[in-house]
Amino acid sequence: MEALKSAFDFSDFPRSDLIVAGLGALFILLFPLFPHSSFAMATMIQFLMFSLYGMGWNTIGGYGGQVDLGKAQYVGIGAYTTAVMLIRWDIPFWISMPIGMCFAVIWSFMIGYPLFRLKGHYFAIATIATSLVLLDLFQVWDFVGAARGLEISPIKYSPPDFWRLIFKEDIYYYYVISGFFFVGIFYINWFRNSRLGFQLRCIKDNEDVARSLGINVHWAKIKTYAIATAFVSMVGSFHACYIKNIEPEDTMSLDISILIALMAMLGGAGSLWGPIIGAGVLIPLKSYLKEWLGARAGLLGIDLIIYALIIMVISAVEPRGIWGVIERIRGKRGK
Amino acid sequence: MSLLEVHNLTKYFGGLCANHDISFSLEKGELLGLIGPNGAGKTTLFNCICGYYPVTSGRVIFDGEDITHLRAYEVARRGLARTFQVYVASGDLNVEENVMVGAFMRNRSRMRARAEAREILKELKLEPLAQNLVSELPVAAQKRVAMATALASGPKLLLLDEVAAGLNPSEIDEIMAIIRHIHEDLGVTIILIEHVMELVMRVSQRVIVLESGRKIAEGEPQVVAKDPEVIKAYLGERYAKEQMETRT
Repeated sequence: MEALKSAFDFSDFPRSDLIVAGLGALFILLFPLFPHSSFAMATMIQFLMFSLYGMGWNTIGGYGGQVDLGKAQYVGIGAYTTAVMLIRWDIPFWISMPIGMCFAVIWSFMIGYPLFRLKGHYFAIATIATSLVLLDLFQVWDFVGAARGLEISPIKYSPPDFWRLIFKEDIYYYYVISGFFFVGIFYINWFRNSRLGFQLRCIKDNEDVARSLGINVHWAKIKTYAIATAFVSMVGSFHACYIKNIEPEDTMSLDISILIALMAMLGGAGSLWGPIIGAGVLIPLKSYLKEWLGARAGLLGIDLIIYALIIMVISAVEPRGIWGVIERIRGKRGK
Repeated sequence: MSLLEVHNLTKYFGGLCANHDISFSLEKGELLGLIGPNGAGKTTLFNCICGYYPVTSGRVIFDGEDITHLRAYEVARRGLARTFQVYVASGDLNVEENVMVGAFMRNRSRMRARAEAREILKELKLEPLAQNLVSELPVAAQKRVAMATALASGPKLLLLDEVAAGLNPSEIDEIMAIIRHIHEDLGVTIILIEHVMELVMRVSQRVIVLESGRKIAEGEPQVVAKDPEVIKAYLGERYAKEQMETRT
């Protein structure tokens, strides 16, 4: 009961924040009713998905200060579990998604246990390595389609199929992912004020002090890593049903890992709104830049240069990201 | 039964002997001062007791239980809290939240942790600073926050590592009042590492002196202060000799 109350307790934010957040939520709920292009719709779905990835990343990366650059492996585990189960055994999304989350969490324990012996950059590099190893394995594993990947053909099913999450129109996908999005926000709001959330922020501060307060630092990190993983894998499962065509290169590449981390860091790591702001800036930028510059001028890759520039500016000016800038302007601290 | 017993504790870092064959015991309700020149091995001793360093040999018994080989967080959960000499607070926790982390050790509820933290902040007169970031506070206040946080974990024994270092005389008086308050009114047993002699000598009931990793004296503050070994350790052999000569 207390946990539920705490999830809906936003009282430590100033009223202006809550008004902006409320307007944002209203916009998300009503967006499909406005006239929009299918491109804008796809961008919005991407935005919601990456917000969720970022929220997951933010638990361990933001509140815990452990920079993780291997989140794509969990996108892959979620996406492949759902796709394989649907194609081979006709197991619907709502069953395969939790199973995928379990697989991802088990995998996260297996690599989290040894990896959290490492600190700082070494940890970040190790997460990249494990992610790449998994990518290579999936590329040669015939059971999951090897490098060709898997394709969910919608013809076999009769959309709209809510049970298997197979739709023709994007609007259904939009509302499913925005449901996840709101649950995610409430969950993170609970998390940041939970015992584990506090302990994690103390660990980020100073691990020795954390130990002196009875915190099992290694275990707290592993637990949080599992939470982050569950988030990412959940969205990965959604990704499989939404995109319908998954290849190892698309779902588990280093680009995705970096984009997830970048998004949260750009918006503001360790703050509730940070990942959402980050995704809100980067995803439209990414989509539109690709559309305008990449395709038309044939300048593929200029979008990457632009993100790199943004990140360099942000990290030089305000390491706490956009949220840090907002807080600085207000002369207050981040939540 | 003693609250803490240290038996023949020895700690080597490679070839360097940081603690050699140290034994002492501490009764419940005592306030013990641990002094010695820089590099005498005081903080190392704390780290060995609390499980931060593995000991080379010897045993540590806390409240009847052998805690020698327990890890730091396990020792903390048994009721042995500590503060750190250099309290690095870089993060985004404010004072109240910081103290809450301590309170979270013994209960899971956020409401209760917050209530306990507020209580302790009131006890230590930190209430007006509750919403400030720890990293923005002056050193004296940071040390008080560190003490409050350690206290919030509900310890039986509190190890304070140089809480008065770098403070001005009026701040030292404040810290002294707080230490007395924790010891007398809250009934917590305390071991105090301190360089500020005025503080140790006035609040401690008993003092242990370390020098080059060995225990060279133990007893009441006034007696220890006159011990020639101790004077030698602090002020050098020649000064000690002169002192002895002028006295005789």
